[in-house]
Amino acid sequence: MQRRAHPGPREGAFVAPPALTTVRARTLFTPLDTGGRADTVTRRLAQAIRLGLLLDGERLPAESQLAGQLGVSTVTLREALATLRTMGLVETRRGRGGGSFVRAPDDPGRLERPLRLLSLHELTDIGDHRTAIAGTAARLAAERALPADVTTLREHAERLRGAAALTERRRADARLHIEIAATAQSPRLTREEMDLWSEIGDLVWLPMESMDVAPAARDHDLLIDAIEARAPERAREIAERHVAVETARLLDLRLSLHRG
Amino acid sequence: MTQPPTAPPPTTQPPTAPPPEAGGPAGPGGEHLLAGITALIERVLASVTEVAEAMTAVAAAARAGRRPLRRGDLAALRPLVRQVLARHRGFAAGAGVVLAPDALADAPRCIDWWWADQGIGRLEVDLDPASAEFYDYTTTEWYREPARTGQPCIAGPYVDYICTHKYTFTVSVPVVDDGRFMGVAGADILAGEVERMLLPGLSTLARASGRAVVVSGNGRVIASGTARILPGTVLRPPGPVPRPAGPGAAAGPLPWRLLSGPALPRAVTSPAGLATGGEK
Repeated sequence: MQRRAHPGPREGAFVAPPALTTVRARTLFTPLDTGGRADTVTRRLAQAIRLGLLLDGERLPAESQLAGQLGVSTVTLREALATLRTMGLVETRRGRGGGSFVRAPDDPGRLERPLRLLSLHELTDIGDHRTAIAGTAARLAAERALPADVTTLREHAERLRGAAALTERRRADARLHIEIAATAQSPRLTREEMDLWSEIGDLVWLPMESMDVAPAARDHDLLIDAIEARAPERAREIAERHVAVETARLLDLRLSLHRG
Repeated sequence: MTQPPTAPPPTTQPPTAPPPEAGGPAGPGGEHLLAGITALIERVLASVTEVAEAMTAVAAAARAGRRPLRRGDLAALRPLVRQVLARHRGFAAGAGVVLAPDALADAPRCIDWWWADQGIGRLEVDLDPASAEFYDYTTTEWYREPARTGQPCIAGPYVDYICTHKYTFTVSVPVVDDGRFMGVAGADILAGEVERMLLPGLSTLARASGRAVVVSGNGRVIASGTARILPGTVLRPPGPVPRPAGPGAAAGPLPWRLLSGPALPRAVTSPAGLATGGEK
């Protein structure tokens, strides 16, 4: 999802960039640009359900109304609803009292559902992609950082350390990695990190109950130390190892879902 | 991307003076090379100053009327901000005002910023400090510097993933009412446009003298006439970055420097061949 241009001056018609998407209904209902937006609508609704903005059993507004609120056509919305049904996040009942209903039973495995949708190969592939982006971003950041950039990175690392809730952690983590790519002075790598985190950010901190923030925080400190020391290769190695550890953990978790 | 209507033709101003003999600030040729971009940025600065003055007037009016300044009062500035964006279309990609914490009675923080590409839209960011995605603009260079010095500032280049999504400079001017710092007015300038204006002169100079780069105040390369030193990298000479002595290569109010000649600080040491070694 990215900032979109609108045909004319229009207050408030702004779609937040990925990973910075505000977890609020107002963002949920920020009009989207038209055309081919089903994926974005799906992601937005799925996130709203996972974050509890839309509650289990809640009836979604009528299709035309919801499509209007999201600023998409009913065709696009139907496409998104079909995907959400496949994901088990929405149920559609026919007839009197029918409509689309949110399905978000308060079971502990609920957050792991998106992980079930990914094959081991897909998870590996995401890991490879992240390694390429995060490793290069770290190396270039170490070459190009100014002291003020390092200060900013430390602030974001600190924010993650203090984050208790899942959404808070995921956002702080995403923000730190996006800042590293920005420190690399690369709009493209920054965009890649934003896209990657909007795609996999939900997964990195699963399962929340057993996740300790300390190991990741330690990795981040080492990484920022390397950036500050202008040690590009060390920064790259630390970033790649960090992604490898997270990917391995997700692969284990994915396999355990099968055993369960 | 269209050339802003106000842009002087940069390509018609190659350096006229002989290239400087060795390293450090370029000679009088630098003035010409930076003249076009300086004039253009000064025009943006003048526009931003207009917005800052309008903001001051809004704050002063509220003060005179003994009523608190509110978010709604900022609406009065928007026609001017739109005008500014139209005036610098293709060069300035965003503009607006950003309020100091507690400058408004009904919002602890406020950013009234507008971006332009095909249309004009409002930038929306999370300003709740309790939120994990909180955008703390008070830590940005373009806010902090005018707040600290009371002077206009040109921040960057930096990757602006909040508004323009591009490599960007931000010109900002402090807004002061009755001695109180109220925030800043500013505009985002696309780094690609700046480079485009500088490149013809720089490449000519580099052909003559080996290397020619324009660096920001903190040593970041803005534009270069040679592929051996690239924009975005940091020039880290062994010792302080040479400052232009006398009228030399200083770009007027811009804290940018034109450096040229074979003895330029080496910017290429890493295996990737892009960045620099040594302490700045």
